[in-house]
Amino acid sequence: MPTDQKVNPPPWRDPTRVSSVRSFALMTFGALIGLFLAGYSLFTARGVSSLSVPAEDVALVNQQPISRSDYLILLQTLYGVDLSHATREQRQKALNDMIREELFVQRGKELDLASSDPDVRSALVNAVELEISEDAITAQPNEATLRDYYTTHPERYVSEGSMNVRDWVFRADDHGGLAAALEALKSPVIPAETLARLHARESGKTQGDEFYFAAKIHLGDQLFAAARELPDGAASRPIQLSDGVHVLYMVSNKRPVPFDFAKARPQVLNDYRNHAIEQLKAGDESFLRKRANVRIAVDLR
Amino acid sequence: MRFIVVVILVFLIGAAVFADSRHSERRLLRADPDALLADSALLRFAADRGRSLFLVHCASCHGVSGAGDPLNGVPDLTDSDWLYGTGRVADIEQIIEYGIRSRNSRAWSLAIMPAYARPHPNPADKNIRPLSPGEIGDLIEFLFRQQGREADAAAASRGAALYTGDAGCYDCHSADVKGDSAIGAPNLADRITLYGDGSRDALYQSIAYGRQGVCPAWIKKLSAAGIRETAVYVYSMSHPRVERSHPGDVANAN
Repeated sequence: MPTDQKVNPPPWRDPTRVSSVRSFALMTFGALIGLFLAGYSLFTARGVSSLSVPAEDVALVNQQPISRSDYLILLQTLYGVDLSHATREQRQKALNDMIREELFVQRGKELDLASSDPDVRSALVNAVELEISEDAITAQPNEATLRDYYTTHPERYVSEGSMNVRDWVFRADDHGGLAAALEALKSPVIPAETLARLHARESGKTQGDEFYFAAKIHLGDQLFAAARELPDGAASRPIQLSDGVHVLYMVSNKRPVPFDFAKARPQVLNDYRNHAIEQLKAGDESFLRKRANVRIAVDLR
Repeated sequence: MRFIVVVILVFLIGAAVFADSRHSERRLLRADPDALLADSALLRFAADRGRSLFLVHCASCHGVSGAGDPLNGVPDLTDSDWLYGTGRVADIEQIIEYGIRSRNSRAWSLAIMPAYARPHPNPADKNIRPLSPGEIGDLIEFLFRQQGREADAAAASRGAALYTGDAGCYDCHSADVKGDSAIGAPNLADRITLYGDGSRDALYQSIAYGRQGVCPAWIKKLSAAGIRETAVYVYSMSHPRVERSHPGDVANAN
């Protein structure tokens, strides 16, 4: 046997030579890759007919997935257990409940219940509104946007004012008593005997320290309007009402104070989101109206 | 020829990595979320991928480290105090999926802190009446006393009567003031505060003007795997040993 004889490689291994074997092998390899990718996409993509249940779902009912996480929540709700602690019967019962629900939902769509059942219609309207809201809530506004919103709505970010006001009532014909009362009310503490001498009584409308909205309800619009302007320790001018002449004495008056941005920020964020949601809802409604073919009866045009 | 071999090898390696990743993702999705803790490799896989999702979707509120922001009522995810549920992966996953007061019909939205300094503290519940400034002050003293802090005794007693009576606080925060994680009502007896620094001023702000923070629902924005990965990562934040641990460590991590 000659030992120095040079061995020629087979033609498919030599890239300088044409080889039908190599061409065929590469073509087959490429075809297999293509088939694999196509098959993978076909049987795993959402919304197409799948042979296997996707990992994130527990079942497919007429190709409609039943979410695994919803299944876990149902198990927890029904039995207070997680998947690993649920019995076979519990798992089966929860799954059957979900499949039943899905079948009935699908049947409901077939029957077009939305066109006739007011509850279904109402639920659908709510669901669509919620869907719109979720998009607005997921979008996180930046600080500049929030500050801008805060500065353009200053009236929303103020504290609620509070007051401690006393309301004295005098007889309408007691002009002398009134003059004396106004003098007496300049004192922060008015002895009961003084008031008795002046024929005055406390109306009982106010209840110590109150927020403005409560004081307004208790005093009525006219007395409240006079009271909110009074500084601490001041008495109002006599105010004639049907039950007599009222004189207000302001013990303390804490007027509404604007919140700084840092304090107001959580509320600003909520308000901004609510505003964005309302805008999105209006935008969606406008879009739906534009693309819809709405015909209105002659008598209602 | 070598070039073709290299291309095929690169393709095969890429396909193998992709297949392995998909396999792990499927295992992650099919696993019981709370049983994941026993599989450290899967836990690491999920936490690593969850971190990047957290940074993109959650860090803008919760911060990169997850420490939250008490000025804005963003909870600290690195401690062991859980407002909703008990901090299990499944609980966290549900929050990420459906949110808190996100307007998703499956969101946690039962607990709303009323604004007691407004004419209608909770528009959804007409039975809750507004409080006066003095009554709010009494409630604050009561809470201070419950937290073992110095408080005005007479005011605290009046506050206790309000808490279990007219103001209706007990209904959410429970009679023992320790909250209710089944609805997301915070424990008021400890010093962990969701909003502010726990001072009288911060408590006044909460009681007078209400609180209703929002966590978005990510169910439409993230895949099922992404939601679980994020949940595992959030879990790992309060269980620092999870990512490098074996099951024994995890069980004792908290």
